[in-house]
Formats: sequence, structure tokens, C-alpha cells
Amino acid sequence: MLKPRRHWLYLAPAALIMAVFGVGLVQVVLYSFRSDGGLFGNFADILARPDYVDLFVRTIRIAALTTGFCILIGYPVAYVIARAQRARNLLLILVMLPWMVSIVVRTYGWIVILGNRGTLNTLLMSTGLTSSPIRMLFNEIGVVIGLVHVFSPFMVISILSTFLMVDEVFEEASMSLGAGPLETFWRVILPLTAPGLIAGCAIVFLLSSGAVVTPHLLGGPRTTMVATQIYQDVFQSFNFPKASAMALFLLLLVMVVLWPLGRLERHLGRHLRQADAQQ
Amino acid sequence: MKMGGLLIRVWVAACLIFLAAPIVVVIFSSFSASGYLRFPPQELSLRWYAEFLSSEAWLKPLAVSFVLALCVAVITTAVSGLAAVAISRRRFLGRGAFGFVVMAPLLFPHAAIGVALLGALAIPGWVGTLQGIFLAHAILCLPFAYRPLINALRGFDPSMEEAAMSLGASPSFVVRHVTLPILKPAIVTSLIFTFIISFDEVTVTVFLIGPKAGTLPTQIFTTIQESASPVIAAVSSFLVMLTVGVVFLLDRLVGLQFFSELERSR
Amino acid sequence: MSHDLGSGVQGTVLKATGVSKRFGNALAVQPLDLEVQRGEFLTLLGPSGCGKTTLLRMIAGFETASEGTISIEGRDLTHTPPYRRGLGMVFQSLALFPHLSVSENVAFGLKVRRQDMATIRREVADALELVGLPHVAERAVHQLSGGQRQRIALARAIVTKPPILLLDEPLSALDLKLRRQMQTELKHLQRRLGTTFIFVTHDQEEAITMSDRIAVMRQGRIEQIAAPDVIYRQPATAFVAAFVGENNIFDAEVETVAGAHRVRVPALDHAFPTPAVTQAGPLSVAIRPEDISLQLGRPSGEALAGRIRERTFLGSNVRYVVEVASAQVHVDALAASGAGAIEVGEAVTLTIPISRMNVLTRQSDLQ
Ligand SMILES: Nc1ncnc2c1ncn2[C@@H]1O[C@H](COP(=O)(O)OP(=O)(O)OP(=O)(O)O)[C@@H](O)[C@H]1O
Ligand SMILES: [Mg+2]
Repeated sequence: MLKPRRHWLYLAPAALIMAVFGVGLVQVVLYSFRSDGGLFGNFADILARPDYVDLFVRTIRIAALTTGFCILIGYPVAYVIARAQRARNLLLILVMLPWMVSIVVRTYGWIVILGNRGTLNTLLMSTGLTSSPIRMLFNEIGVVIGLVHVFSPFMVISILSTFLMVDEVFEEASMSLGAGPLETFWRVILPLTAPGLIAGCAIVFLLSSGAVVTPHLLGGPRTTMVATQIYQDVFQSFNFPKASAMALFLLLLVMVVLWPLGRLERHLGRHLRQADAQQ
Repeated sequence: MKMGGLLIRVWVAACLIFLAAPIVVVIFSSFSASGYLRFPPQELSLRWYAEFLSSEAWLKPLAVSFVLALCVAVITTAVSGLAAVAISRRRFLGRGAFGFVVMAPLLFPHAAIGVALLGALAIPGWVGTLQGIFLAHAILCLPFAYRPLINALRGFDPSMEEAAMSLGASPSFVVRHVTLPILKPAIVTSLIFTFIISFDEVTVTVFLIGPKAGTLPTQIFTTIQESASPVIAAVSSFLVMLTVGVVFLLDRLVGLQFFSELERSR
Repeated sequence: MSHDLGSGVQGTVLKATGVSKRFGNALAVQPLDLEVQRGEFLTLLGPSGCGKTTLLRMIAGFETASEGTISIEGRDLTHTPPYRRGLGMVFQSLALFPHLSVSENVAFGLKVRRQDMATIRREVADALELVGLPHVAERAVHQLSGGQRQRIALARAIVTKPPILLLDEPLSALDLKLRRQMQTELKHLQRRLGTTFIFVTHDQEEAITMSDRIAVMRQGRIEQIAAPDVIYRQPATAFVAAFVGENNIFDAEVETVAGAHRVRVPALDHAFPTPAVTQAGPLSVAIRPEDISLQLGRPSGEALAGRIRERTFLGSNVRYVVEVASAQVHVDALAASGAGAIEVGEAVTLTIPISRMNVLTRQSDLQ
């Protein structure tokens, strides 16, 4: 089917497309060194600004909170889907349908819900739970809610895929040995599904620290994240070199978090892979 | 056990409501008659749909997004199909590295990808052009097209093709009647996923749009920042309907197990 | 305590009364009673889908009985969750935890029971010793051979000294030779520990060689529960006769000639004098191939005449297919005997001892 040495022809289109991305990455590095203040001027400027310390701390906090809430949603949902028999497809659709709706649409929905005169505040005030509206938009609460909504399906899928590899019989074996549901979860289910959980955390952290649209719309001008700052540097201050330097910092941040997570996932996943290889 | 099971179910139900909430709210408020956003709406009307469907400011980005997503879907599926064939059937130096490079966009935060593509597309002056946005979407979609295709090809037994040829079939006949039908679910998955990703993409695209070229999601993004007109709700509901249609199509064509395809081989 | 000991040596360890299991509309297990004696090796035997696993899982607590009660050592455990039943279980897939080492797997039940480290270490070592694998303690599960895994799964289940060990086709994944070896080992272990084993299999040979008693199941019912030789020699139903070992089964009817009862087998065109027939309704007769004897030549008088159609050499035995009237009769003969040397096509005389013939109520659909 495929003639000898022809494989380069097959690879060429994909390679060309990816080359554009590669050129872009090189551009980012080159531009980041372009500044009035010497080779490392952009980096020095960023490091010298105390409000950028806040920016990075806030970014990490929001991404970490988002990841945490995604676990709270993703793990139980994945478990129920994996163990459901008849309802599995329905549940999958209920998780995946929101996922496939554009994030601007979903973020817009949260503006309608979370605003001072929005659905949630109207509801809370009409039931008398609060007398004045709770501020949920243009602060970190809104951003985290929006990001959790946008990225929790990734967590579900990631955990679900390991749950589907872990046979229910391990739970039964644990119970037959006297372990109750909690202990079974702690000693068997969690260790066996940890690789999927960690992979999910990595994806969610990566995506939420790089998100622009949701934090921009729900966070307002004061709740900036590194990614929205990059966007503003490009389109409000037209400072592409500084944006490039920020992008490199963002990459560094993501790498620092993702690299150990990747190692951990590999370490924890080795049993599953070996068990797979055995069969 | 019973208690715990019940608790989990209640929590999962709450999660599902959370996931559905903004979408349901958008759909309901799109039928509002008043000039500002309200959920639940006081009076029902279709005026915002009328405005959406009569305004060029919305119809043009809709057309752009649709055509763009179609091109991206077809071309990235073809491109990654070719690459997947070469990688699954040939051993050559850099084979593993190539597979890794194709998946690389998944490892970068979107804001960084946005800046990088802005830098790259500035060289030929393609910022704010359709070909620029097309290239960006192709890069973002390549991993999602490549993944199902390479999985299908790895699971594909080449002796099936050999069997067909031993029965006297010509290579082109084999491709049409053996290879493609077996790969059909993966191809459909790839087409539909890349279509959706391209059609929905905003985060990277907002770095690349210009006054002449905007997609529907970026148009929504800029409009939200200016006003909260319920016409956005009408446009959004339209997108939701479209998504429901696509998911239904996917279920019909390949079944829902394709979701797990997304995670395998990561 | 002393009361416990009194009933402990012998007596009932498990008692199921009227238990049944319904999945939707289907009755996987019909209401049935079962009593298991302490120290007994009981096998649940039956074809695929007859409800063996379901019954075992009800005992284990993974399925709740739709009706009826299950009590273990006098305690009603019908609605007790599996982790509070204190039983041991060996799963068909073994279900050794892949994220734990061999010794951690074996220690699992002890850790859950909050034993101290010294006890755990000692008991794990003892259990591994018992199954003959003390040297694999620190290995990962995937580094074990099939037979070793089998033994570790066993060690893990018995280390907590459960009163009853439940085993669901634990040997079915092994090749024949290893399987035979594990059968003997399992039986020895059971003798040594004195633990009650409830063992599921669809292999009747396995059931016969290992069990103290066999419960033969069919379509969610226990057809017969008895010692292996009783099951083999005196099957209670035509199904048991057909399922356990080889049997020639023919439709039959009772006729009374001059005040004497006889069982007539139309297919053989023959009637057998029989002392008493207690069954009502349509009947079957079952006769084992090794109980029929063959002689070369045509019979004189009342005996059955046949002709050899096929001859298969089986090692120590020869299996004949003999055509008698309109029926095919399977007959086994010792290969070394004269009856083992008859050629295909020869006319033979068949002798069927009445005492070895079982007259049973007819059952349709014996498979
Ligand atoms: N969870 C379930 N839901 C519905 N039906 C079931 C379920 N488990 C078992 N059954 C049905 O109950 C019947 C008995 O099944 P069971 O697994 O007990 O059979 P078995 O004797 O163990 O068979 P095998 O030898 O194949 O393991 C079968 O018809 C099976 O289809
Ligand atoms: Mg079974």
C-alpha cells in the first residue's frame, strides 16, 4: 500500500503545519529578548513588578482551585458512569454535551447566572437567604466557577478511562477481605485509578492556567491571570515582546507543575500497564 | 453502603445540574422579550432570533466559522490520516518523535500557543486573515484527528489487506473496500471532533482575528464585552442546537464509545 | 463459647432457606434450601448459566437474595454487606491487586482487621508457607506464573481464617496439567485447614474428584445434592444422569405383564424386569457405558442383540458405538480384555445388569 521511502511524502503535510507552530515558538523566544533594557530587559521588568507576583500567585491559586473542584466533580461522576449499566450513555451525553458547547456560550451563561441581578442572586434574594446580592462576577469566585465548568469534563474523561480499565472485581475482592466501602476506596479504588486522576489534574491545570476567554469575561479588569495579562499586553498595550516574555514564564510555570505530575502518573500507572501486558 | 451510594448519586446529580445550568439559562433567556438579560424571562418572544438571522454582523461570522470548520475538519483528517499511515506502517528514524510532535499542541497553554502563532503568522502578514486562522485551527486540531486514526491503524491487522490482495483485489480496490470501511469510525470521529473544535475555538483565535476576519465565537466574545444584548443568547442557543445535532449524529454514526478514544494512547 | 465449640466440630456452618434471586423478570436462582456442614468440601456443579455464581455471590453478600434467608454459624446474614460476613473468596479472575506486592496482597485482610505488624508478618509468612511460596513474597503480582498466582489468591483468602471459603471456578484459567495438580493441592489444603469450601465448577470430573458432596444445579434449581459416588451411581434425575459422567439415556414406559412390572424401552425394542417403579409419568432409563458388557456373537433367548458401528481406542478403555434396534448404545470395555478386541461390523450380545440401571422421571432438554 505504501511504497518504500514514500513515507516522507505522507508525513510532509503534517510536518509543514507543525513547522508553523515551531516557528511561532522560536519567534516567542526571539521577541522575548527584544527590549529597551538589554537582552533580559523584559524578564527583569516582569520580575521587578510586585503586582506581577500577585498575578502569578493568583494564577496558580485559581488553576489549583479549579483543578481541586474538577476532582470533586470528575471523580464521582466518572465512577458513577463507569459502574452504570443502562444509564451510561445518558450520563455520558449529559457530561459531554456541555463540553462540546463553545466556551464563550457557556461563559456567557455564567454571566447571566452570576451577575448581581442574575439568576442566582434573584433566587437567593427571593428566598430571603440574603438581602443584598452576593458578588460572584468579576472576582475569583466567578472565574473559578467558569473554569471548573469549562474543564471538569476533561477530568471526567481522564478518570473514566482508567475506571474502565479497573475491573469491578477488585472492589469485590477488597470487600470479601473485610474492607468496607471507605477502606476499599482508599486502599484499592483510589490507588488503581490514581494515574487517570493525576493525568486529569495535569490537563485541567494546563488548560485553566492558559485560559483567556473565561477569566477575561468573568474576572473583569482586576482579576487578571497570566494568560489574560498576555492577551492585554498584545491588544491593549501592543507590547508583543513583553507578552512573549510572559508566555515563557507561563510555559515555565506549567512545566514546573506538569513535569512531576507526569512522573507520578508514570510511576503509579506502571502496574496497570504491566497487568495489561500480561493479558 | 446504601447511604454512601445515595450520597454519591445526589452529588453526581448536582454536578450534572451544574454542567447543564449555564446552557439551560442561555436557551431560556434567548426567548426573552425585554431588551436586557433576565432569567427567567418575563415575556417570551423570538425577536432576538429574528435579529440574529437578519443581521450581517452575525451571519457573516457564522458563514466564516462554518466554512472554516469544514475545511479544517476535512484537511486535518486527511493530513493526519496520511501521517498515521506512515507512522503505523513504517519503521524509520524519528518515528516516535514525529508522533510526539503532532501531539505537542496538547502540552502548551493556549495563551502561549496564541502568542506563538501570532508571532509566526506575522512573518507572511497573515494575522487577521482566514488562512492564518485556518493554520492555527489546523495545528490545534491535528492531535485530535491523529489520535483516533493512529489508534485505529495500530489495531488494524495488515493481513486483512494482504488477504484481499491474495484474492485478486487491486491496491486501490483494497483501499476503497477494505481499509477505508474498517477505518470509518475513526475517520468519522476525527471529522466531527475537528469540526467542533474549530467551530468552537476562541482562546487562540482571539489572538489572530482582524477587522476583516472573525469567527462566530470571537464575534460573541467581542460583543459580550460591549453589551449584554440577548441577541447573544439567541446566537448561543443556535450553537447549542448545532452541538446537540452533532452529538446525535456522532451517536448514530459511531456510537458514544468514541469519547474514550480521546483519552486512550495519551 | 463452649456452646460454640460444641456445635463447632460437626454441624451446620451455612444454612440457606428458600433463597432465590431475580434479575428483572428472570429467576436466576429458584427458591432453594442448602445446608453446608462444617469442614465440608461442597461443589456447586452445573452447566453455564444455571445460577452457580449467583448462588455463591448471594452467600458472599455481593447479591442480596430476592427471597429467603442465609445464615452462617447461626447468624442471619441475609442483609449483611460482604465486608462484615468474614468469609473468604477466590475469584475466577483471582483479582490480585496489581498495585500491591505479593505479601501486601496476602496482608490485605489482616491490615483491614487492624492486626499489629508483628502478627501480620507472621501470618503472611505462614500463609505463604502453606501454599509453598515463601520465596515470592516481595515480588509484584505480574511477576508470578499462573499457578503461583492461583496459590497467592488462595493464601490471601485463607490468611484471615474464614469459616467458609468460596471459590468461583478458580482453576478454569489453568491448562489441564496444572489444573489437575492444583485440584490435588486444593483438596489437601482443605483437609489440612478443616475449612469449609464451597466450590463452583462446570467441570464434572473436577467436582467428582474433589468434593465431599456435590450439588448439581440446573436452571436455578438444585437437582440433587449428595456424595460424588451417589451422584454417579444413583442420579436423582435424568439431567443429573446426563450431566455427570457418560450415560445412555432412553425413553421408557412401565408395562405390567401377568402381574409383574417391566420397564419397556421402545428404542431398544426390549423390556427389563424391574422390582419397583416409584416414579409417575413418562420415564427414562439411564445406563452407564462401563456397566454394559459385550460378547461376540448372536444372543440366545431374551438378551439384547447389536452390531458394532464404531470403535474408538481410549487407552485403557475401548469405546464402542453399538447399534441396537433403532438406538445407538455406547459401551466401554477394558482394552486388555477380550471384549476390547471386537471389530467394527461384528454382531454382539449386550448384557445390561438391572441393578445398574436407573429408572428416572423423564426430562426434556437435558443440556
Ligand atoms: N447481574 C445480572 N443481571 C441480569 N442477569 C444476570 C446477572 N447475573 C447473572 N444473570 C443471569 O442469571 C443466570 C445465572 O447466571 P450465573 O452467572 O449465576 O450462572 P453460572 O452458573 O455461574 O454460569 P457460568 O458457568 O457461565 O459462570 C444467567 O442466565 C445470567 O444471564
Ligand atoms: Mg459463573
